[in-house]
Amino acid sequence: MNSALLQCPKCRGPLLEGVFNRQDPAPCPNCRTPVQVEVFPAFFRKIDSGPGAEAVMVEGESSCFYHPQKKAIIPCAACGRFLCALCDCELNGQHLCPVCLDTGRTKGKIKGLQNRRTLHGDVALALAFYPLIIPYLTFITAPMALYVAIRHWNSAQSLVRPRTKARCLLAIVVASIQILGWIILILFIFNRRSHG
Amino acid sequence: MAEKEYQRLTWSRRRPGVAITVTRASLWLGKDHLLYVETNRYSFSESYKRFYFRDVQAITICRTSMRTVATIILSVLGALLLLIGFAAQDTGALITFAVLAVVLCLIPLIINLALGPSCKAQIRTAVQTEDLPITRVRTAHKIFARIRPLIAAVQGQLSSEEIPTRMMQLSAAASAPVFPASVAAAPAPLVIDDPNAPPRIV
Repeated sequence: MNSALLQCPKCRGPLLEGVFNRQDPAPCPNCRTPVQVEVFPAFFRKIDSGPGAEAVMVEGESSCFYHPQKKAIIPCAACGRFLCALCDCELNGQHLCPVCLDTGRTKGKIKGLQNRRTLHGDVALALAFYPLIIPYLTFITAPMALYVAIRHWNSAQSLVRPRTKARCLLAIVVASIQILGWIILILFIFNRRSHG
Repeated sequence: MAEKEYQRLTWSRRRPGVAITVTRASLWLGKDHLLYVETNRYSFSESYKRFYFRDVQAITICRTSMRTVATIILSVLGALLLLIGFAAQDTGALITFAVLAVVLCLIPLIINLALGPSCKAQIRTAVQTEDLPITRVRTAHKIFARIRPLIAAVQGQLSSEEIPTRMMQLSAAASAPVFPASVAAAPAPLVIDDPNAPPRIV
């Protein structure tokens, strides 16, 4: 069941149905700020309690892997374990057990559950470019940039930005130039010392 | 070319509700949900929140005074710069301060006024009420005009005439007493074997 009334974003006072779904903004009953509210059928939808799991009545009947006293109704689509109604987690038409669901979330295999991503391309690019302010730092950061760019070449990048490897490629090029520069510098110094 | 999974609805802006932050927020449109993206430039990461159309209960747009405040600040700053330029009594300084006033104050002021009234937008589901990265009324209307039919396609339409009836039903359901199962269940049958002893539950 839907709980709290809608609140005015400014004064947090309750908004009454007189301001709902109007063409023009209406003043908040509390602070008189013009507010426009649109409610949808989901606002009035009763939240159903989840299905309860049935107990195993007949000996030998398939039981849930996590609740041996409960009747199994479906196997997990990922690991095949039998699940009761309580353990059955349905996601996009797939039935998963809680463990597979959590594994899928933490390993990033279930895209719809991913709520965080590291932008490795940006990390590599930052390691390649930012230390140019103090060039001596590139002695350390250039190999790091190269490692990050190569290691995460195939890693998932931003969920919303175009999936190009341009950032990693640019980081590899810049880091390679920096490493080459250091090699040339070291060889030059070494050469000079050996001749001097 | 493969169809993009997400379409951008807003450009990255400061995370709503926070004055000083390194996090930028943007809103994207997916097939069956809205995607709220927070980008942290220092930790090089993105975090996501999804609002599925089937779960959206309400959208609220509340006018704010940000536009008025910005107009006042820019106007005062521009006037100050011009005043300093005049007070310097030097043509070079006057031109410099005039250019500064135009670049730093007049142009942003014109943009601020052209963008229209400022607002704060929120989206509500059963479990959260989230501020959206929308700061102008015009943008809010444009975005919600785009997602309204998508929400209606999943949830159905709700006319303004239905709302009072539904609110009454909601209030009635919320105020109805809820008895625990043990009270609501039928009492266990009793058998009296001995009038001097307590009854036996069958």
